[in-house]
Amino acid sequence: MSEEHVLDYLPAYALECLDEEDELRVAEHLASCQTCQLELQAYQGLVEELPLAMTEREPPAGLKEKILQRARESKGHVATLPGTPRQGWLVRLRAVPVWSALSLVLVLVLGGSNLLLWGRLNTLENQSRNHLMTILLQGTSATPDATGLMVVSLDGSHGTLVVDRLPVLGQTQQYQLWLIRDGKRTSGGVFSVDEKGYKSLYVKSPEPLVSYSAFGITVEPKGGSPAPTGDKVLGGEL
Amino acid sequence: MDYKKFDDAALLRLIARTQEQALGELYDRYRRLVYSMALNATGDAGLAEEITQDVFLRVWNKAETYRPEQGKVVTWLSSIARYRSIDLLRRQAIRPEGNRAAWAEEGNSLPSDGPDIEGEVVISQRRQIVRKAIDQLPTEQGQALAYAYFQGYSHSEIAEALHEPLGTVKTRIRLGMQKLRHLLQEEKPSDG
Repeated sequence: MSEEHVLDYLPAYALECLDEEDELRVAEHLASCQTCQLELQAYQGLVEELPLAMTEREPPAGLKEKILQRARESKGHVATLPGTPRQGWLVRLRAVPVWSALSLVLVLVLGGSNLLLWGRLNTLENQSRNHLMTILLQGTSATPDATGLMVVSLDGSHGTLVVDRLPVLGQTQQYQLWLIRDGKRTSGGVFSVDEKGYKSLYVKSPEPLVSYSAFGITVEPKGGSPAPTGDKVLGGEL
Repeated sequence: MDYKKFDDAALLRLIARTQEQALGELYDRYRRLVYSMALNATGDAGLAEEITQDVFLRVWNKAETYRPEQGKVVTWLSSIARYRSIDLLRRQAIRPEGNRAAWAEEGNSLPSDGPDIEGEVVISQRRQIVRKAIDQLPTEQGQALAYAYFQGYSHSEIAEALHEPLGTVKTRIRLGMQKLRHLLQEEKPSDG
């Protein structure tokens, strides 16, 4: 892979078919390279058009009625009064879209303490541009200086986690990202931080990232755990 | 109420308010997209029907999570259908063959049910352009792209399935995507 850029890997990255090791390297490079970010956007636009080229088939007759019947029976859907927005102000405030959000990663690296102010400024400046979505992760009482950011892709399917100022753990422990929905926690990856407490991690899950309601990071035994066992160090809601 | 007059985003707002007819209209517009995505991924009509139900019920229960600023409804639906299909393949350890025939032949389109005639003409034209571009790819590149896009296979998994060296597969994917990009850029609709 080129030291300068990862251009040859971007077609496969957009198609999400890179093997894990390559995927991580590309994600790390992308976090701080605007040239490659722009190239990636071009390929992601191409991937979005691929459904136009697929062979189309008619679903079986009667499928629509089955779906509507199941929708009627669905108990998870609570009716809302007409005109009542379904999203609370907190959700909208935290799921702030920012243009070129990956450049925020660079800002994190250079000066994590400016993160909050930077994010607010960009929110105001770029409300009309609306590209990537970011979710701020805040430290807990055990890690008040720690900060993190989840940058979610345009289609909401994958993202990059960046953390800074997390304590360096011993060799028997690692941090683990949890994707949270309806109280259920799914592992989003296991990682260690460098000597400054910094790490960027490519995050891909079976379900689109935007389908989760919150993200949390805990301290776990090396290699991770099936479910959280240790102290929570960062968390944020979508 | 005539739901056909609503655009996709308006339909989703109505679905978020449990308007069942809005879900029916969305189904009418995108049933083929969702079902075909699932069928091309799994190669199994029963699984494709199951995934199609799952996708539209997910829309029913999660319509409020759709954010227009993140992309069009059709892109959102395609993504859900694609990821649900790939997820099901992985969970059930199904490994279908990547099928070059997942890509349609140029000119082979089903008639549209969309309400927006003008918009449909534009989409139909673009569909022909994308299909023509795929048609121009060498067969092995189209097959590698089908494995990656529909089945969610990685480079290594494609190499294993095709009994080809990993480097060969990487090259096919890269060249295929680069050629598609070049061909589609040539045909890019102008803004003016």
